[in-house]
Amino acid sequence: MISLFRKSLTARAVLTTVILGGISVAIIGSFLSYSLANSFYQNRLSQVLTETERAVDSVQTTIAASSLSDETALQTLLNSVVPSLEITGGSAPRQVALLRSPGQGQLQLFQSPISQNLDLRSIPDELRSEVREAPGRLTYTPVTLRSEDGDVPGITVGTPIAIPIAGSFELYLVYNLAAEQQALELVQNALAIGGFFLLALIAGASFLVTRRLVAPVEEAAEAAREISEGKLDKRLPEAGQDILATLASSFNKMATSLQTQIERLDALSRMQRRFVSDVSHELRTPMTTIKLAGEVLFSNRSKLEPALSRSAELLQDQIERFDRLLSDLLEISRYDAGAIVPEFEFHDVRAVATAAIKSIEPLAKDRNTSLQLEAPEEPVRAEIDARRIERLLRNLLSNAIEHGGGKDIKVEVGENSQAVAICVTDRGVGMSRQELERVFDRFWRADPARQRSVGGTGLGLAISKEDASLHRGWLQVWSKPKLGTSFRLTLPKSKDAVIANSPLPLPPRGLEA
Amino acid sequence: MTHRILVVDDDDALREMVGLVLSASGYSPVFASDGLSAVDVFKAQNPDLVLLDIMLPGQSGIEVCKSIRAFSGVPIVMLTAKGDTDDVVAGLEAGADDYVVKPHNGAELVARIRARLRPISDDAGTVQIGPLSLDPKTFEVKRGSLNLSLTPLEFKLLHTLAAKPQQVFSREMLLEQVWGYQYKADTRLVNVHVQRLRSKIEEDPENPKIVMTVRGHGYRAGSETQ
Repeated sequence: MISLFRKSLTARAVLTTVILGGISVAIIGSFLSYSLANSFYQNRLSQVLTETERAVDSVQTTIAASSLSDETALQTLLNSVVPSLEITGGSAPRQVALLRSPGQGQLQLFQSPISQNLDLRSIPDELRSEVREAPGRLTYTPVTLRSEDGDVPGITVGTPIAIPIAGSFELYLVYNLAAEQQALELVQNALAIGGFFLLALIAGASFLVTRRLVAPVEEAAEAAREISEGKLDKRLPEAGQDILATLASSFNKMATSLQTQIERLDALSRMQRRFVSDVSHELRTPMTTIKLAGEVLFSNRSKLEPALSRSAELLQDQIERFDRLLSDLLEISRYDAGAIVPEFEFHDVRAVATAAIKSIEPLAKDRNTSLQLEAPEEPVRAEIDARRIERLLRNLLSNAIEHGGGKDIKVEVGENSQAVAICVTDRGVGMSRQELERVFDRFWRADPARQRSVGGTGLGLAISKEDASLHRGWLQVWSKPKLGTSFRLTLPKSKDAVIANSPLPLPPRGLEA
Repeated sequence: MTHRILVVDDDDALREMVGLVLSASGYSPVFASDGLSAVDVFKAQNPDLVLLDIMLPGQSGIEVCKSIRAFSGVPIVMLTAKGDTDDVVAGLEAGADDYVVKPHNGAELVARIRARLRPISDDAGTVQIGPLSLDPKTFEVKRGSLNLSLTPLEFKLLHTLAAKPQQVFSREMLLEQVWGYQYKADTRLVNVHVQRLRSKIEEDPENPKIVMTVRGHGYRAGSETQ
């Protein structure tokens, strides 16, 4: 559910709209409900006050008109007045109480006439004291009328009345507001139902509107994905003049310009590949002849005069050098042209390192250098192009032997959960910071003055760097003058993985100083 | 007897030079300078091995290879200017047994030729594998009474596997025992030739019963039970 909201713009938009709509509906509903209740109450109140006034007038008229001689006559009169008040007036049922104000002399026979089912709690004492202090006026208070069917709101209105013989009285009329309450509840229910439907409508509308807006964006996203997957001729339909049409047309313009660029680069790279392939063929055929001829001369040099024999030797050496240079050049131009197709397979990196060491051993022996391999006991498997990695290691080893000054060379193999690493460390002359910066440059040599005894082509590390990035790996170097040099190759265990850190430290342990 | 080797290359100098190297190693070279004449020379001279350049004018080396394979199983070693392109696989699929990448040296070339001309050891007896019987004396492979025609290389590959049924051979082992490589070589050689072999001996090459793939290790000969 949460992921749906995170993923779907539409769901988020609808949810937000519904929440905001709900808050608005609730505020408007509460306001309406409150003002309706208020106006219901005010209406009823003014009605109630008018009715009460009329009732009080009629009571006073009745009392004034009658000639009261004694308590019994008074009692009879009042007893008839109360029921008459109960039934007169427009709004049904009201209850009446004629109460004698406290603090007067006791009347012998008099009983306060009160409507039959009147609950005296609906005439609060606070109201009675207020009434007594406001002669000639109507005083009222909202009350709660308790009944078996539940509480209903009501209004109690009171006014003081002076009665001859008997003294001060208070006339109270209690009005029931059940009808208004019911009407209010009806309206509130209607508001609630209306609000609910309004919310549903808002949800529906926002869904439709958002869909209309989001659909073209989703289409654009889908098209962008297809283009990134190589379907360069994917375009969006352009219709209308609104912002979405502008999006579509800008998107299409971008796609077209991308396509032109890519196709141009593609054509260039095809041309370059073609060139490399042609040069390769054109150069290799005469190179083969020269090589074979040189070999024949070289192997028969004992039959030649000393000068010719030495010439055959020089020729042979330089043919070999030229051969290496040619193949390195072709290799690097293949990288430049993007024409390299690696062959990834799972291999034990230890075995690859061992093979590289074995193949370089004659050179190491020649230079009195010993090579030491430190590798885990278990196989260290990684998805690599073994031929390229072995070539890379051979190159690192041959550099280490050339610059190692005859001291031991250490080859370390390490692994962690996602990467393998091979570190080739010599304790030779090392390099300065400036030299280090250029170490992967093409045809750059650490010391141009020194004799090129091992016969590298100057392209070895550049190719190694390309080999490493072909594997999405790292080839890093650490070096300190007079201390030594360490190259660390880190490769992901599976060809699609991304490496975060290397299993081996650089500089290697014991060389940090 | 001296083996006769047909050298097909459009470069005159290289052709002559290869001829010199072959003669010095005791072989007798014959020559063709383009793809169209290569097949005619082959038929006229009946060589023991063909050294075939891939990039030839007229008819490409791959087509020449196919034409020769249509009627002969004589070893074909390709000379290719490109080590890591589709050409190698295309040539192997067309029926070439092995390839040498230019520029090569003489020793390399002669070693490849020698490996291809080396016969299967004489003491090898008839081998039975599944419904097939292999006779190393006559190079005949029979399914019942039906004679299957394999090239010597394919025969050697099948014989090597069938001589030790159920043993798993890695591609490197096969490169050493069948192709004669002492040092690591291109494992595509094995892959392509196993495919070619299967298409000749299996009833359903997609679902092999005789030469089985052992995932991650290599191949073995044998029935489906293991």
